Amino acid sequence: MASNDVDSVPGTFAPALRELGMQLRKLGAHRSIQIGGILFGAIVLVAIFADLIAPFDPNENNYRAMLAAPGDAHLLGTDAFGRDILSRVIHGTRLSLVVGIIVVIATGVLGTIIGVLTGYVRWLDSPLMRVMDGLMAFPGVLLAIALAAALGPSVVNAAIALTITFMPRTARIVRGSVLVVREMPYVEAARACGAHDRRIVLRHILPNAMPPLIVQLTFVFSVAILAEAVLSFMGVGPPPPTPSLGNIIAEGRSYIREAPWIALAPGVAIAISVLGLNIIGDGLRDSLDPRLRNL
Amino acid sequence: MTIAPRSGHGALLRAAAIAVGVAFAAAPLAAQAQTMGGDFVLAQSANPPSLDAMTSSSESARNINMNIYESLVTIDENVTPIPMLAERIETSEDGLSYVFPLRQGVKFHNGDEMMASDVKASLERYREVGATRGMLDKVKEIEITGDYEVTFHMSEPTPTFIEGFASPRAPAVIIPEEEAAKPANEIEFIGTGPYKFVEFVPDSHVTLARFDEYSARQDHDGPTGFGGKKTPYVDTATYRIIPEAGARIAALEAGEVQWADQIPVPAAKRMMDDPELTVFEARQWAFLTLIMNWQLPPTDNVDFRRAVLHAIDREEVMAIATEGFYDLNHGWQYPGRTYFAGDIGADIYEAPDLEKAREYLDRSGYDGQEFLILTDPNYGEHSRAAVVIADQVSDIGINAVVKQLDWATVLKIRLTDEGWNGWTLMQGLEPFLGPYGIAAKMTGDQPHQRATHPEIDQAYDDLITGATVEERQAAFAELQSLIYDLVPQIKIGDVGRMQAGSASLKGFKPFRAPRVHDIWFE
Repeated sequence: MASNDVDSVPGTFAPALRELGMQLRKLGAHRSIQIGGILFGAIVLVAIFADLIAPFDPNENNYRAMLAAPGDAHLLGTDAFGRDILSRVIHGTRLSLVVGIIVVIATGVLGTIIGVLTGYVRWLDSPLMRVMDGLMAFPGVLLAIALAAALGPSVVNAAIALTITFMPRTARIVRGSVLVVREMPYVEAARACGAHDRRIVLRHILPNAMPPLIVQLTFVFSVAILAEAVLSFMGVGPPPPTPSLGNIIAEGRSYIREAPWIALAPGVAIAISVLGLNIIGDGLRDSLDPRLRNL
Repeated sequence: MTIAPRSGHGALLRAAAIAVGVAFAAAPLAAQAQTMGGDFVLAQSANPPSLDAMTSSSESARNINMNIYESLVTIDENVTPIPMLAERIETSEDGLSYVFPLRQGVKFHNGDEMMASDVKASLERYREVGATRGMLDKVKEIEITGDYEVTFHMSEPTPTFIEGFASPRAPAVIIPEEEAAKPANEIEFIGTGPYKFVEFVPDSHVTLARFDEYSARQDHDGPTGFGGKKTPYVDTATYRIIPEAGARIAALEAGEVQWADQIPVPAAKRMMDDPELTVFEARQWAFLTLIMNWQLPPTDNVDFRRAVLHAIDREEVMAIATEGFYDLNHGWQYPGRTYFAGDIGADIYEAPDLEKAREYLDRSGYDGQEFLILTDPNYGEHSRAAVVIADQVSDIGINAVVKQLDWATVLKIRLTDEGWNGWTLMQGLEPFLGPYGIAAKMTGDQPHQRATHPEIDQAYDDLITGATVEERQAAFAELQSLIYDLVPQIKIGDVGRMQAGSASLKGFKPFRAPRVHDIWFE
């Protein structure tokens, strides 16, 4: 994937697009990515069309149907408020994915910037990475809980807490790739040809540091979904009555013997989401990491 | 007038009307063989905010403190004041002085004997830091009139003084004089009760140990309410803090705890069929209320508060908040009680009137500000009520936001003017004790609604100074009318409480706080 075309004119994307198309076709043919894609794709479709497919308003209380068992009226039963569990799980899934996407984008952007700066600009390496090391010294979920508790319960704050939690690991991975790529002969060649640092980073280093980042972000996505559920479960996620997979499970704890469907349904949704993303991540790692390709 | 100690037998029998121990009722207390020893582990949902008993009126603190500390006067099983550390109570004919001869030989947990100087110092401290220090407002002076006697000189006759003074809400407990010199929450936890403090590990447990030098009253046959003859049988009592109801139930069913509080109704129904467990069911446990903050917009506006008052469908809130174990009651006293004030407010309470609610909302000039409903997840009734109320008031265009924080944080925030507009709260002891506690929280230095109102103050004053029951009933009726007009609080309904214990736990009888004395294991 390395580009030796140091003199190519910016804006001439045809070769790059062809390369990208080939890569995507190759990835699409991978069995793990296909299976993970089906699982996660189903979850994404549910999240996108939540308003259309949810049979009830997820916050509609009905005290005449409290803790109703799964049946014709409520496919997955109701909770202690008489709210439809299926509708709440559908909307909770949407919220989990939104948080996951925000965290992935924010983590990817911040992690890449810090990773490139620390990997390419030598004098920034030590101070920035010590800060990252400091953040990584805390167990991830505990740090997220502490941050979310300090910031207050909300969707945005949960996303901020998770971004701060996962960003250092992403930065470290990008930095590692940059440290390797910057010593490659084609980078030396570009530098010898008088290319500016910005051009070297954007055209030669970043594209070649991307594969491990992409793999990492799929895992960040799945862990973010899981962590968001943990935050909501702990009561530092979105405030009630906003449905999230974690707070539905938390609400179901008290009725686990009498109404197990409350906690079961969001648990299954989390499992499918995380499983799908992890399988995709495994497939991407196998495809993009040459060292694992033939294992 | 002298209030003499009452026989424990009658009080115990009368208590059946207050709370029913399903299995306990099967066998008379005296017929069972008590055994010494054992560790009693209780599960409750929240940390005690403080074990400085004077300073906290929270249930989670009272559950523990009532076994460590004692006061001069307390209540029996039928909520009647009885002497505890006082030998008796002597009231002057003009009502301007109360003499409390003290029981002799009562030991503190540090080994010192309780003297009149300890009593005076404790009560002077209560005037400074007591959570319900208003109860001593009419006490002009506390005089030591003997080594074992104190005399209260009143500023004016206060016929209801002893009722208020006996309240266990934030009890006026007696502690050693040297501890009484310390500020709030900085004392060693030393009392005269049957159990002494051992350790408090926040979010984990509080441990008490039997006080072997405990001096029990000998003029009763057994315990009654928070008084009477208390006998500590178990070696230790450990209160485990388990916020989540499912975990409390699991701990009980696994035998890790022998008693658990606040059992969800669906689980309690299931547990009734389990021969290894005993379910204790108590109706009329608490009022579920929505407290209003008069200091912060939009609830500083009376018309906004009236809009909320008319928008709430109590039946829906109560059904969901209590999981179906509730009574609808518009009154600020329980029906059948002396001070139940008839139909005042019943028309407003019975059904929501959204049209009227919108009228009031328009009149208030409401412009979409957040209506912050403060609540906590530790008491499910609080959080579920907050969610349903928020949903209901949003139907008339109020931008309601549920602010759910842990119980200890909620207790701190509600003492400030910022950060909340409404606060869902179960008030248990106040209505249980009669009209004074309910009324007292709407007046004085620290009213729940964060501001006083002269008419409410006057009604409260008339209530506590009324010479006859009829005068006091009229004052309370006026107060209830003002509550429905000025809306310092909104009554949602009457809540029941489910508790459960191991079948091997004997002698336990539910009361306003679990009594760890006079229980044993079989």
